[in-house]
Amino acid sequence: MSYALVSLFIPMLSALLLVLIGKTLSERNAGIMAIACGFFSLVAAWFALMEVAAGNQPILINLGGWETGLAIRLRLTPLSGLLLLFTAFMHVLVGLYADFSRQGVPRDYWPLSCFLHGALAALWLSADLFNLYITLELLGLTAVAMVALAGKKAYTPAANYLILSLVASLFYMLGVALMYGRYGSLDVVVLALQSQDDSMTRIALLVMTVGLMLKAALWPLHLWLPDAHANAPTAVSALLSGLVVKGPLFILWMIWSEVAPVVIAQQIAPLLAIAGMCALVAGGVSAMRSAYIKTLVAYSTVAQLGYATMALGLLLTWQLPQMHVALWLFVIAHGLAKASLFMAAGEMQATLGTRRVSGLRGATQTVPLAMFAFAVAGGSLIGLPPSGGFLAKWVLLEPLMSDARNWPWALGVLSGTLVSAAYIFRVVAISFDRARINPPDRRPDRLGHWLALLPALMVWGMALVGDWLIRLLSGGDI
Amino acid sequence: MSSLQLYSILGIAIFLLGIHGLIMTTDAIRRLIAVNLMGAGTFLVMVALAGRITPPDPVLHALVVTGLVVAISATAFALRLIIASSIIEKARDAEDDTL
Repeated sequence: MSYALVSLFIPMLSALLLVLIGKTLSERNAGIMAIACGFFSLVAAWFALMEVAAGNQPILINLGGWETGLAIRLRLTPLSGLLLLFTAFMHVLVGLYADFSRQGVPRDYWPLSCFLHGALAALWLSADLFNLYITLELLGLTAVAMVALAGKKAYTPAANYLILSLVASLFYMLGVALMYGRYGSLDVVVLALQSQDDSMTRIALLVMTVGLMLKAALWPLHLWLPDAHANAPTAVSALLSGLVVKGPLFILWMIWSEVAPVVIAQQIAPLLAIAGMCALVAGGVSAMRSAYIKTLVAYSTVAQLGYATMALGLLLTWQLPQMHVALWLFVIAHGLAKASLFMAAGEMQATLGTRRVSGLRGATQTVPLAMFAFAVAGGSLIGLPPSGGFLAKWVLLEPLMSDARNWPWALGVLSGTLVSAAYIFRVVAISFDRARINPPDRRPDRLGHWLALLPALMVWGMALVGDWLIRLLSGGDI
Repeated sequence: MSSLQLYSILGIAIFLLGIHGLIMTTDAIRRLIAVNLMGAGTFLVMVALAGRITPPDPVLHALVVTGLVVAISATAFALRLIIASSIIEKARDAEDDTL
């Protein structure tokens, strides 16, 4: 049995175990069990990544020993290995925060977080269109249940989120059905060899794309995201923004870069890149204008996903492997930074007793650590060197800067940077207003603040392993 | 018109009807029914496509069955959430009236 499967089964089994015996454990111990499972899954993911990086070609896993064509194949590539590692790492970081900060989480958080981990791991490993649909549904249902953990006030946003998530999945499934009707196969590897440029393929790809863009909250289908992400409990917001929206993005990347014929991909790609640019600006402006801290952070997710969409669009237009590296570096850097931002925002809300941005006056004095975490994570979103965000942006900008004809795209990236600097500095500037301090309601929870800072430090540490990450993602090409 | 075309077009029409309902209505239960209509349309397309060869393609039948299971459980979950949220909203309205 391969390490990748171990990394997938550990969270799935521990989720079932926690559902069965969770009631007999104390809340703290249930958390420790979930974190330990996340850690073991992390170790397995590391070995899986080493295995596939050494072999330098994808490892295909036929589940149940069925032969190719009958089996639902799983596929381990260096990218899916890295994403497995990243998912497990995020679950451990967020789990530590959820278990040891004073805010805490309800007991039901733990099995759900394990399910979420398992669903994502299955998604990264799938190479079968219908299997991807199943993992999408699993992901969506778990995410909705986690939003509802925030209690009564979150039921309405959770119900809306669920309906949208179902609609998105149905769009995707209709596309999958049309694809199967045309080619008689669901396996991504097989479809990549067979796909042709005809109207049926075009319609199928278009319908799938609409569904996936809705699910990944890519502009202009992002309107559901702020409501759902801002109303969830803090730890859940961190997972939703950091990980869940990246799942559909992965599928989108897979169908366009592998399944779709290059001709169609090159036609649609500029639209994707433009949507990304619009997301950068529109999401950033909404973040700048929002009155609530968590809504600001949620809108910043919409904006940051714009970079990823842009990288995807340019990857398809130019078929440039460097954009592939930029896309996934963005995903990882944004995941870590956003987890830190949400946790810091949650901690500040709880300590200062306010949900408004204007209530952060004097936060540098009253909650210095949480504010520091917010600023440090924000620095990565802006792309200040030497953070992970900078690394990703540099890889994205390099080909844009080398050719003068690419100036509109470079301008888009730079204006996105400007807007994200504006909304981060808006918060930081208010927090330095020590003349009119908003007095805290209770003593800051030091451990919670440190745990909120942890992912932010990790994203700045990404620069240390930047070379390794780039080589891993590019397969040694660059 | 062959039966494959007829049922595919019917399925897509039902799917579009579902989207129409989803956009035009605000009541949560109605929207959920619209989503279920979209599901029914998708399944109809899939069953129609299964008939493109003889004997009918069993893979698509299996996919429809899997999709039905997902749709039923998701609908149940959505109903529970909608009922819970409507109870809370009613309670809030009642509170507002007494104030």
